[in-house]
Amino acid sequence: MSAETAISNPSQRRQRSVDQLKKWIGHVPAYLVLGAWSLFTLFMLVWVILASLKSNRDLYKNIWALPTQIHFENFTKALFTIDMGKYFLNSLVVVMPSIFIILALSAPASYVLSRKIFKGSNLITMIFIAGIGIPLPLLFIPLFVILTALHINNTLYGLGVLYIATSLPFTVFMLTGFFGSLPVELEEAATIDGASDFQVFFRVMLPLASPGLITAAIFDFIGIWNEYQLALVFLNDPNKSTLSLGLYTLTNAMQYTGDWTGLMAGVVIVMVPTIILYIILSEKMIAGITMGAVK
Amino acid sequence: MKTRKRLIVLFLLPASLVYLAFFLVPAVWAFYYSFFDWSGFTEKMKFIGIHNYTELMHDPTFLLSLKNTLFILVVGGIIIFALAFLLTVLVNSGIKGKKLFRAMIFLPNVIATIALTTLWAFIYNPNFGLINGVFKLIGWKAGATFTFTSIDHIFYAMMAALIIIQVGFYLVLLMAGMDKIPAEFYEAARLEGANQWQMFTRISLPLLWDVISIGTVLYAIFALKVFEFPYAFNQVWPPQQLYTVGIYLFIEGFGKRIPIYRLGYATAIGVVLLLFVGVIVLLLRRLMRREVIQY
Repeated sequence: MSAETAISNPSQRRQRSVDQLKKWIGHVPAYLVLGAWSLFTLFMLVWVILASLKSNRDLYKNIWALPTQIHFENFTKALFTIDMGKYFLNSLVVVMPSIFIILALSAPASYVLSRKIFKGSNLITMIFIAGIGIPLPLLFIPLFVILTALHINNTLYGLGVLYIATSLPFTVFMLTGFFGSLPVELEEAATIDGASDFQVFFRVMLPLASPGLITAAIFDFIGIWNEYQLALVFLNDPNKSTLSLGLYTLTNAMQYTGDWTGLMAGVVIVMVPTIILYIILSEKMIAGITMGAVK
Repeated sequence: MKTRKRLIVLFLLPASLVYLAFFLVPAVWAFYYSFFDWSGFTEKMKFIGIHNYTELMHDPTFLLSLKNTLFILVVGGIIIFALAFLLTVLVNSGIKGKKLFRAMIFLPNVIATIALTTLWAFIYNPNFGLINGVFKLIGWKAGATFTFTSIDHIFYAMMAALIIIQVGFYLVLLMAGMDKIPAEFYEAARLEGANQWQMFTRISLPLLWDVISIGTVLYAIFALKVFEFPYAFNQVWPPQQLYTVGIYLFIEGFGKRIPIYRLGYATAIGVVLLLFVGVIVLLLRRLMRREVIQY
């Protein structure tokens, strides 16, 4: 035992515990602020879930009380009577293929752009990234004309095409950053071993980039799953509504029905997929924000 | 060399074509439409020069939308960044549960906007909402009967909610920047007797400049094109007090209850919005340009 660790002197020991106490007290404001902020979010989520299981009469009587009886029928009603189930499927049908195509388009493009192997690659990267700054409302009317000419306006195909096109700028921004951070040496080694450029990409770079691709996929999924602006403009047929748009329609109907608990069930149905993803993959997502922005 | 050319074309072309057809071309095309009087997709277009733009300058609803948008940009931006900085400092002050707090504060960013507006509709509901409920619990009469969503207050109520949701994103961004700063810098400063504030202004702020600069550009773009949150905030039809430029464009183009489409005029609004994004982003980049500090 060294002299330092053997604290036999009581006054030294007291000094130490005073220091620790001081340090702890110093942290109290931080815990209070961060704790209150986090609890607010948590409380809201728990409250929505509880409200979605109550009857409307219970909710109006006392908003704080636990449900006296569990009312799962709010969910069956939301899913089947108000068609949230159909909207859920519509969303899946649009979102899943869109994500796949976004990655299939932007991964190869980002790879080529990140290697800067031809003149003008920087300019093309800039043009892609500039899309982040183009406000979508500017595109509404020209896109309406284009989709109508292609006979895909007011269809899920048309909406999917728009999701793909509008997700490209951010995805390319993220993935060029990610490919750019991968070492060139590996490619060179593979080339020396006789691999063609295509083989280098599919056999070496794509597997290496998979963490980046997954992060981009999560981001695109959350963005498209949650969006209702484009759906609002380009889908008029209630049968084709996506989940977010369906929930918007439901909130509109609220003024006539007063069915808050049914609405809360709708909110839960919309939130659950992204929150589950977030619980499993929050570290990956948080890393993703910084992938393009913080070098 | 030949395969290389083929690689570039094959990898870059598909993404470029989709981006061109459904994003860039419509964006440029919008300029053309903005010089026409065009009242419906089947009607004839009439060339009216810059008349749409001169009308915009005297349109009180447009000016209100613009004022609201700039308010979200400037006032909202300042508050969001101040809060994000405060939380970053608190989270980094050596407390436990850093990642948990970050994950909780970021959480609203993965939830669908439309679910969030529904949540906030409950929080602000004057009859059985959360805030009025708390005021009632503590026996504050004036607070308990206050209507946050009345026409006079609804814009500020919306802003407050938007700020609370957005802070998490910039917290994550700033924290990632902080993680890149070597811990020795702070240790050295602490040994020299620097306090928290000095360490923040002398070490964190200058070394975070890059991240702050990207963060402000991202926020400016977000704020200028914000649509979904204010549009759905009132549950039903948004009152003019909540109009942003994007919302006004949508209302003029598609969204009137009695459909009077003003497609040329709406597109002109989009063009003005794009110009605002361009000018403000360039201005921010100019203002925030500084020598990069190597470390």
